[in-house]
Amino acid sequence: MPELEFVNLRKSYRSPRGDDLLALADFSLKLGGGRFVSVVGPSGCGKTTLLRMAAGLIIADSGQVRLDGAELTAPSPKMSMVFQAIGLMPWKTIEGNVALGIQLQVHRRALDAAEMERVHATIALVGLKGFEHYYPHQLSGGMQQRVGLARALVRQPEILLMDEPFGALDAQTRAVLQDELLSLWGRVNSTVLFITHDLDEAIYLSDTVVIMGRRPGRIKQVLDVKLPQPRYSYDARAEAEFARLRSIAWQSIKEEL
Amino acid sequence: MTETTNLLPGPAPRNGRSLAVAIGGNHYLLSVVSVLVFLAVWQIVSMNVPPVILPAPLDVFTAFVTLTASGELVRATVQTIWPFAVGLVVAFVVGTVLGLVLGIFRPAARILDPYIFVFWSIPNIAWLPLFIAWFGVGNLTLVVFVFVSAVFPQLLTVESGAKETDSFLVEVARSLGGTRREILHIVVLPSALPYIFAGLRIAVGRALVGIIVGQLLIVATGIGYMFQFYGETLSLAKYFAPLIVIAALAVLLNRGVNWAERMLVPWKQHAFA
Repeated sequence: MPELEFVNLRKSYRSPRGDDLLALADFSLKLGGGRFVSVVGPSGCGKTTLLRMAAGLIIADSGQVRLDGAELTAPSPKMSMVFQAIGLMPWKTIEGNVALGIQLQVHRRALDAAEMERVHATIALVGLKGFEHYYPHQLSGGMQQRVGLARALVRQPEILLMDEPFGALDAQTRAVLQDELLSLWGRVNSTVLFITHDLDEAIYLSDTVVIMGRRPGRIKQVLDVKLPQPRYSYDARAEAEFARLRSIAWQSIKEEL
Repeated sequence: MTETTNLLPGPAPRNGRSLAVAIGGNHYLLSVVSVLVFLAVWQIVSMNVPPVILPAPLDVFTAFVTLTASGELVRATVQTIWPFAVGLVVAFVVGTVLGLVLGIFRPAARILDPYIFVFWSIPNIAWLPLFIAWFGVGNLTLVVFVFVSAVFPQLLTVESGAKETDSFLVEVARSLGGTRREILHIVVLPSALPYIFAGLRIAVGRALVGIIVGQLLIVATGIGYMFQFYGETLSLAKYFAPLIVIAALAVLLNRGVNWAERMLVPWKQHAFA
């Protein structure tokens, strides 16, 4: 089973005044097994730093990120990342943007028939069949993030890293995409590491919610969400257990604000 | 036919389109009207001033036909287009490649930017006597002069374009596993493409100035020389013939660049289409 492990991660940034700002200290966590893990915390708690390290985009000052036991020092083809700002190439069509997920994974520009088939199947999977030849600016924000999801999923990642992917969307679109994410996740067996500052979102989606404290960023509390999946098959948000977890998590985060 | 739900107070907006909207909506018609008005004004003004100040549109047309029939205008146009085209194409290629390199590899820019800035700041015309000393009075000097006129706007525009590459898109490509080479191809080049065209638009204009100035002042060939000759002999009707050629060339090139840009940059949204 794929496994992502953070071992005593430490990262600091140089502030404009010249002193070091500790973003993350002694952060250790292990995830995998196709589980959905969310990390929540107040802004500035180092969530995004953590995810960028998980993606191999930045390297820790000390400690390690390990993917399936091997130290990770650069982005891995076994992982995909979904960004809040999406980051579609404006000059590529939807098809071209999704194909990019494979092209940069296999380092080959020409995709074979099976790979193109996967591109089209993934576009259909996120509900964008018929939009293959549109450019990103012709789509709404919600549709653009579906493309962002397709670009990540087409790589058939062991680990899916998501950095507040629905943070910039309106409430209705966000709710729809949350349900679709759960449904997609049920089909692909990827382990998900999901960053958000939205407690409800974290509890609704995840098997495990990790609450972070700040200055420096560290794990404050870990909550297991025992509500059965998939959560969209019933009104999970109305369950007493949901309210209980929400209350605990909110108390915990409030202390950090 | 569906009726618009009108929530505005007062009478409903008129259904018919006004004349201004009708003409304004048809850009082609608007251009034709504009040209006709211009010709009419020209005709009226020319009837009230001596022909050595402003010839009538019809005299200009006759002179144009005569010069074309004699072959003089065609010969001059060819003499102008060759060194112009060679200088512009070389400037475009060199300016684009060097601009990309300087935009991407900042150490290279730090070494070369001061020189480029100094060369760019010197008025082009100051080079001309030096080029004559180096390359003689002929097409080589013209080509070099056109090149120098056009290469800097191309280079500087492309360089700033490459520098403007969205660092977030580079990070996205990196997160997907993109190598330096792949990122150059997938992110940097496409985002620099609109700047390559913007540079070309300026370069074309400057190259045209370069070739005319060179022929008018120094080499005494082509369209530039026609300006000099018919200007000095006060044959103003004939003076307008090369003017029309240059204007047509400029319009044609501009349209060509616009067309190529629409073909190659289909994702670009124009705020004022």
